[in-house]
Amino acid sequence: MFADGLFLVFAVLAVLGAVGLVLFRHPMNGAMSFVVTLIALAGLYALLSAKLIFALQLIVYAGAIMSLIVFIIMFLNIQPADLPQEETKLLSILGGGIVVLPIGWFLFKIVKSLPMHSVAIMGTDFGGVKEVGLVLFRDWLIPFEIVSILLLVSLVGAVILAGKRGTAK
Amino acid sequence: MSQLDLLLLVLRVAFGAFVPLCFIAVLVWMERRGAAFFQDRSGPNRAHIFGFRAGGLVQNLADAIKLITKEDIVPDHVKHKFYFVLAPVIVFSIAILSFAAVPFADALILGGKKYLMQTIPTDLGILWFLALAGFAVYGIILAGWSSHSKYGILGGLRAAAQVISYEIPMGFAIISALVVYGTVNLTEIAHYQGQLLFGFIPMWGVVVQPLGAIIFIVAAFAEANRTPFDLAEGESELVAGFHVEYSSMKFGMFFMGEYVAMFTSSAIIVTLYFGGYQIPWFSTEVLVNNARAITVLLMLLMPACAWIFIRWMHKNNRSHYDCPDDHRVREALIYAKIIWGVVAALEIVLFIYLITVSGGAADRILVALLQIATFLVKTTLMCFVYVWVRWTLPRFRYDQLQKLGWQILLPLSLLNIFVTSAVVVALN
Repeated sequence: MFADGLFLVFAVLAVLGAVGLVLFRHPMNGAMSFVVTLIALAGLYALLSAKLIFALQLIVYAGAIMSLIVFIIMFLNIQPADLPQEETKLLSILGGGIVVLPIGWFLFKIVKSLPMHSVAIMGTDFGGVKEVGLVLFRDWLIPFEIVSILLLVSLVGAVILAGKRGTAK
Repeated sequence: MSQLDLLLLVLRVAFGAFVPLCFIAVLVWMERRGAAFFQDRSGPNRAHIFGFRAGGLVQNLADAIKLITKEDIVPDHVKHKFYFVLAPVIVFSIAILSFAAVPFADALILGGKKYLMQTIPTDLGILWFLALAGFAVYGIILAGWSSHSKYGILGGLRAAAQVISYEIPMGFAIISALVVYGTVNLTEIAHYQGQLLFGFIPMWGVVVQPLGAIIFIVAAFAEANRTPFDLAEGESELVAGFHVEYSSMKFGMFFMGEYVAMFTSSAIIVTLYFGGYQIPWFSTEVLVNNARAITVLLMLLMPACAWIFIRWMHKNNRSHYDCPDDHRVREALIYAKIIWGVVAALEIVLFIYLITVSGGAADRILVALLQIATFLVKTTLMCFVYVWVRWTLPRFRYDQLQKLGWQILLPLSLLNIFVTSAVVVALN
C-alpha cells in the first residue's frame, strides 16, 4: 500500500517535471523541473528494487549531467530578453497535444488489456551492485566495451572540436 | 516489526540527525579556538552564562541568537525568490542526508537479527554519498545565480567549477579503494579494515591505499569548499562569494551546512581510509568475547583520565593576573565536581552491568557504544585536520586549483587504479 502511494507520488512528479520542462520559458526553471523528473525516475527505480540503477541515475543524470547543464545556464547568464519570441507557443502545444492524444489513448488501451499477473519481489540480491556487475561483465562484456568505445570516441571528438576553435583564433 | 526493531530504527535515525547537528557547535568552537591556537591568541572565551563559559562554547549560543534575531532580508533585485530561498535549504539538507549511509558501529546482532548501524540501512554505501555529493552543487549554483549580483555569480561559478572538477579524482580514488575492498558497502569496508596486515599492522585504507587516501582527502577538501580551496568565497576579491546576498538564518544555513559537510566528509574519510568504527587490533568479536576484561579496564581508565583532565583544567582555567576571588577558579571547581559525578555514575552503570547482565546481548551493546565512541573520536580528529589545514595553508590561485585537479590529481588517480588493480590481480 505504502509502495503504491510512493509510486503515485513519483509518477506524478515525473510527469509534472517533464511538463514543466516543456512549458517553462526561463531555461533555469526548465532545467530544475527536469531535475525533479530525474529524481522521481530514480525513486521509481528504487521501487523496482534496482538499487544500482537508482544510485547511477542520481549520480550520473541528476547529479553530474544536470548540474553541468545548470552550470552552463548560469555561465551564459541567459535572461528572458535573450530568448526568442515564441508567439505561436500555445498553438504548437495544442497541436502537439492533438497529435499525441491518439497514441496516449492507444497506450492506455494496451495497458488496460494487459492480463493481471501476480507480482512477487525477486530475491533480496536482485539489482545489487554485484549482480548487475556480474551480468554486465560476464554475459554482456563485448556490447559493454563497444558502448564504452563509443563514449570514448565522442569524448575525443569533443576535445578535437574544442581544440580546433582554439587554434583558429 | 517488533518493538526492538522500532526502537533501533528511532535510535539510528536520531543518531544520524542529531550527531551532525551537535557537531556544528563542536566544530565552530574547534575552528575558532583552533584558529586562535595557531595564531597564538586565546580565541573567544568571554561570553558566559552566570560565569560559566564552557571553554568558549557559550560563544556559539550567542552567535546563534544573533543570527536568528537578525533581520531576514531578501534583496529587491532578486528575481527568482524561490531559488534564492531554496539554495540554503538544499546545501544544508544534502549535507545532513549524505551522512545517512555511514556506519557508526559494527552491525549489531540482537536476538539473532542483524541491525546495520547506519541511519539508512542500505548497502549502497559509498554510492549514496557520491549521489548526494553531486546534489550539493545545485545549492551553490542556485545561490550564486539567484543572488543576481556580480560577486554572487562569480563565487557560484568558481565553487561549481571546482566541485564538478574535483568530483572526478574523488570518484577515481574511490574506485581504487573499492578494487581493494571488493564492496561498496561501508559496513563491509570497515569490516575489511579490521584485519591485520603481516599480523601486526591494522589494515586501514591509508596503509593499503596511501596514494588514494591522499587524493581523496585533497578532493574532499575541495568538495567542502574549505581552505586552501575556498576561493569561492575569497574575501579579498569576492566579499563572500555565492552567499554574499544572504542574511540572518539563510546565511546561517550555509554556515551550518559547511560544518555539517565537513563532519560528513570527515566521517567518510575515516570510514574509507582510517578503519571506520574499528578499534585498532580489536575486532568486534575479540571485543565481545573479552567484554568483562574491557569493562574492568574502562572502570580503571576513566577516573585516571578524568583526574588528568581536571589537573589540566585547574592549571589553565585561571586568570593571568592576581585577583583575590578568581571566578574562573570557581568555575573550574564546579566543572571538576560535574566530571567526577559523571564518572561516578558511569562507574555505577558499568558495575551493575558487570554483576548482572554481562555476557550475551548486553556485551554487544557495550561494544557498539565503544565503537560509536571510537568513530566519533576519529571523526573529530579528522575535523581537526580540516581546521589545521585551514589556518596553516594559504589560498590557491584559481588556475593553480584547476591545474592541480586536472593535471596532477586526475593522472595520479588513474595511475593508482592501474597499480592497485595489477597488485590485486597478482595477489589473487
